[in-house]
Amino acid sequence: MKLINLVVLPIIVPLFIGTVLLLFRKSLLAQRALGLFGAAATLVVSLFLLAKVAEDGIQVVTLGSWAAPYGISLVSDMLSILLVATASLLTLLVLWYSVYSLGEKRELSFFYPATLFMLTGINGAFTTGDIFNLFVFFEVFLMASYVLIALGGERIQLRESMKYIIVNVVAAALFVITIGYLYSITGTLNMADLAVKLGDIGSMGVISTVAIMFLVVFGIKAGIFPLYFWLPGSYYAPPLPVLALFGALLTKVGIYSITRVYTLIFTTDVAFTHDMLMMLAIATILFGSIGALAYMDVKKIIIYNIVIAVGVILFGVAAFNEVAVTGSVLYLIHDMLVKALLFLMIGVLIFITGKTNLREMGGLIRHYPVLGWTYLVAVFALAGIPPLSGFAGKILILQGGLEGGFVWQSIVVALSTMVVLLSAIRIFIYAFWGAEKSFNSPPKAKYVNRMIPVVILFVITMGYGVFIEFLMPLFQATGTQLMDSSLYIDAVLGGEK
Amino acid sequence: MLLFMAIVLPILLAIFIPLAYRSMKSIHTGWFVLLAPVLLFLFYLRFLSPVQQGEAQLARASWVPSLDFYFDIYIDGLSLLFSLLITGIGSLVVLYSIFYLDKTKENLGNFYVYLLMFMSAMLGVVQFDHTLALYFFWELTSISSFLLIAYWYKRDASRFGALKSMMITVSGGLMMLVGFLTLYVLTGTYSIRETIAQVDTIVDQPLFTVAVVLVLLGAFTKSAQFPFYIWLPDAMEAPTPVSAYLHSATMVKAGLYLVARFTPVFAYSEVWVWLVTGIGLLTLFWGSLFAVKQTDLKGILAFSTVSQLGLIMSLLGLGGFAYLVTGDAVETFTFATFAAIFHLFNHATFKGSLFMVAGIVDHETGTRDIRKLGGLMSLMPVTFTIAMIGSLSMAGLPPFNGFLSKEMFLDAVLGLLHADISTMTVAYLVPIVAWVASVFTFIYSIYFLWYTFMGSRKEEQLPKVPHEAPIGMLISPAILGSLVILVFFIPNVVGDWLVKPATAAIQSSSFASAADIEFYIKAWHGWTSPALWMTVGVVVVGFLLYKMLPKWQSIYSKWPERFTLNRGYDTLMDGSLNWNRALSDRFMTGSIRDYLVYMFAGMAILGITTLFTQGGFAISTEGLAPIRLFEIVLTIILVGSVMAILITWSRLTAVIALGGVGYTVALFYVIFKAPDLALTQLVIETISVALFLTAFYHLPKLDKHYKGKEDTSFRLGNFLISIAVGLTVTLIGISAYAQRQMTSISEYYKETVYTEAGGGNIVNVILVDYRGFDTLFEIGVLMIASIGIISMITLRLQKKKKGVTVDEIE
Repeated sequence: MKLINLVVLPIIVPLFIGTVLLLFRKSLLAQRALGLFGAAATLVVSLFLLAKVAEDGIQVVTLGSWAAPYGISLVSDMLSILLVATASLLTLLVLWYSVYSLGEKRELSFFYPATLFMLTGINGAFTTGDIFNLFVFFEVFLMASYVLIALGGERIQLRESMKYIIVNVVAAALFVITIGYLYSITGTLNMADLAVKLGDIGSMGVISTVAIMFLVVFGIKAGIFPLYFWLPGSYYAPPLPVLALFGALLTKVGIYSITRVYTLIFTTDVAFTHDMLMMLAIATILFGSIGALAYMDVKKIIIYNIVIAVGVILFGVAAFNEVAVTGSVLYLIHDMLVKALLFLMIGVLIFITGKTNLREMGGLIRHYPVLGWTYLVAVFALAGIPPLSGFAGKILILQGGLEGGFVWQSIVVALSTMVVLLSAIRIFIYAFWGAEKSFNSPPKAKYVNRMIPVVILFVITMGYGVFIEFLMPLFQATGTQLMDSSLYIDAVLGGEK
Repeated sequence: MLLFMAIVLPILLAIFIPLAYRSMKSIHTGWFVLLAPVLLFLFYLRFLSPVQQGEAQLARASWVPSLDFYFDIYIDGLSLLFSLLITGIGSLVVLYSIFYLDKTKENLGNFYVYLLMFMSAMLGVVQFDHTLALYFFWELTSISSFLLIAYWYKRDASRFGALKSMMITVSGGLMMLVGFLTLYVLTGTYSIRETIAQVDTIVDQPLFTVAVVLVLLGAFTKSAQFPFYIWLPDAMEAPTPVSAYLHSATMVKAGLYLVARFTPVFAYSEVWVWLVTGIGLLTLFWGSLFAVKQTDLKGILAFSTVSQLGLIMSLLGLGGFAYLVTGDAVETFTFATFAAIFHLFNHATFKGSLFMVAGIVDHETGTRDIRKLGGLMSLMPVTFTIAMIGSLSMAGLPPFNGFLSKEMFLDAVLGLLHADISTMTVAYLVPIVAWVASVFTFIYSIYFLWYTFMGSRKEEQLPKVPHEAPIGMLISPAILGSLVILVFFIPNVVGDWLVKPATAAIQSSSFASAADIEFYIKAWHGWTSPALWMTVGVVVVGFLLYKMLPKWQSIYSKWPERFTLNRGYDTLMDGSLNWNRALSDRFMTGSIRDYLVYMFAGMAILGITTLFTQGGFAISTEGLAPIRLFEIVLTIILVGSVMAILITWSRLTAVIALGGVGYTVALFYVIFKAPDLALTQLVIETISVALFLTAFYHLPKLDKHYKGKEDTSFRLGNFLISIAVGLTVTLIGISAYAQRQMTSISEYYKETVYTEAGGGNIVNVILVDYRGFDTLFEIGVLMIASIGIISMITLRLQKKKKGVTVDEIE
């Protein structure tokens, strides 16, 4: 096998191992061991690929050797592989956490294969260089997410999964229709080829319209205003490990897709399309803020924080200069890590107290200091307090925003930090401080078990902040690749042109 | 590097504190902690002489060089003064805390970790020349303050007081950050010194004023200026050593530091100087006015701190005028800066001692409520003496250092009248406000002293039997009290070594070094000094008003509670929960119908407005097939079937109508000569209709459950939205077809299907070869769907409840 085919592995490995897992339905050990192994193997191959991309630049595989733009291209550029690696890492840690927390019945009911299939779809979506193939991978991870959201068959799960499916079926139909529009105008599906052709055509009203329709399609997944309404309810229903996966990964596929098409393909009418994205990003921040502050339910608080972060990241994409876009990618990875971390932490919190309402909690810091202090630090990271993980990204986003002349919007973004901080620190103040309340706390050993993956993720997330200097070359390369689309185009179409 | 190590020394020490606390219970942890500030104080003392001669100390440590993020240390007179205050007062406070906090009852580990963290943070704030590094440590001070205020975390007042201080100071910090980034965008450097060097090029840019206001927000929130001061009184929930240290001597002065540090940049802006002066004066007045209302000893001191910070702030603002004027007036205004720094130093000494006194009173009597206290003079003579020195200095009386700086303050505000400033009428207000505020300052100083130590004893109201504090607790306030007197007699030693180097740093356009400053502090300016007569007036009027205090103190309660700033904050905090909840409940109904309405409406508005405003709409009839009877009939059947699905109450009818839709589409394929697609479509439709029929046969009848209950009445809004969605999809489709730009890649498939792909059926070849990867994963989707179905059938963690209908899905 040529090393260049490495690009396929982060997609194929989880698919293969997930399929093998279907053969060992009854064995808990096999499910756990192979499930974790599958995620770990995916992580290892993505790290190899990351090293390869960092060293040799953008990696491309055109499947079946039908040259681009006729066959399907898989493209690993820096943005893609960073997201693939992060998604694989988080899947591994969440699966580890699930071993202790999910319950045997769910574990034996295809939880591990479904998660690996979801990873397949997510990694595929991050990697593909073909817009129709992107749709296919959307279907893959969506179908897997349908399985996961309903897994367990509790009433709230069935009710919410129904809504979730309806919204996503609508989005999928719209996706195909929009691809149809684009194909009708350009006659091609390969993203690099689209970039070339739309660049040749220049600014055109109908193309801007299609760009906005893509924003709607991906916006439904990403959870931007006015399309995020389905998200809080649906994410609330499944068990926490699933929620952590959804919160950390699924909206990010939407963000990724918007970033991809708005940096590679639709760049001919930036004054209109990106301003529209800017407006929607700001509105998303505002509406997310309403929700984040409105509830005393720990799950809801963090869920609405997803929405705020979506707005912040897309603000950077909309500002559309290298500084801001680099900041967005830095912040995107940070947000994936820290959201997964927070969801797992409140998972432990709910496990200890048996409640989700903050008003019924109190005084936990005395008996659970590790959880309490790590949670507090994670909140500061979420709010972008230096030297933690959110800082570098936030600085660049704001700086890029100011450079682009978006002054009041930048102030809104900065203030959104206050909403994030207030909403998340409420959990700390109510649950960990205050008078001690008594709970039927489970045995300490179970708490410790769950804390192991949590602490590991905590250390990784903090490392992402404190030692960000070592990763900066990767992110600078990402920014360069995103703002100079010729690098992507040449990598895909290079030979023919 | 040594300088950087000095900054982080306390944090490094903090790592070992929990260990020391746990393993050496018999020794009070504070003794280990004391090492850090004492060592650092001695360390920074070494720089006094070089810095006075204008040799600033430089060092650099890097964090993220790729982002141009360095910890650049630059110690000039201003930084050094603050560093000495932080470590000097820090040493005294730690010493005091050893006797104040009981080593058996309190969790000292936590306390000292937070305190050491703060010390590092604060040193960083005053020493970093790099704005991002400054911001970093600025937030760290807010966080350590948050943790210290909530030290007794079980109390509601503590944790919510901590939250309040953090919300206000961190949001100010964020605004400051945006201000710094704006400066960076303007100058391309994060270094404050480099920014100063290129100030000429940026003052005229519109973003400059934005930066001014944003940075000021940071300074005002941190230094408890009006209207942000409300966090400071609530911060008094912290243990008293913390109040003495953070909330009077150091952290609250970070805002003053920031203003002083940025004066050479921003003082060219009139907005800056007037805002700093105006807000400072307002705060001075407001704080002194409300200090008299307080009944808690620490409450009085908190408001007094607010007021004094306002005083220093206004002096710094006046100093800024030096950058706007020329000629003799420059000297008047640089003198204001000189006075500001001198008073900053004096305030640290007398306010620090007063806080420690309040702590002693609280510790020995069990209460800080001034209404229960009185007559403690004879029981606690040493404490009383220190309190007297502090209070009278605060009131501005000789022979204490407060007298000197208060006189200088009055001189400075009078100086404004002589200067040639555009808005003269406003300038007249300044001395009046300053004088009135001084009167109230006098009143609350005497109020604090007399009500605690004079008058009749009320021992029955005290929780504890009062007695003099242990010697250890008295050392620190006594040292500060001696300084208060000492400085009065040798003010120019302080002036030459500390105040002048700091002033030179702030007034860098007027003075190249400390040696150029020729101000001389003296207590006696002769009978003609207007400041002297103003002071006399303050004492006389203040004394009279103090005597009548019982008669007018009740005025304060006349002010309706509803209109206080605290109430405003509380409303905002509760509102953030309740209003948002009410708002959120209004649209987050949980109903998927509502959500789809929003989403479809959003989609249609975005799509249609873009299409028409961007001129994307176009129709082209070129290349269209003629419309024949077939198509018309098929369209009618298609639309009819769709309508039938919506209208019918029978599941069977709906399924059959759905099949009708599918078959009609298949017929369209036939007409348009795509037999393979038609065949596929027919197979799919047949299978799915059969499946639906089998499954739905077992479901309860729709009409039984819904007919009559379901609101099926016509809704105009929904009707319009559905029309709009249809139009969006159709119109964009028409436009996209009409504006076809390129030939399709499918030409390539036609050319190569026989030759290179070696297949016969182009659709098949596309599916399994050209785009086989799509097909592979479409099959994957089916596999995933099947496991989903199995798990839904086999796993039900919750028992079925009888009578549950599909209602809940809505």
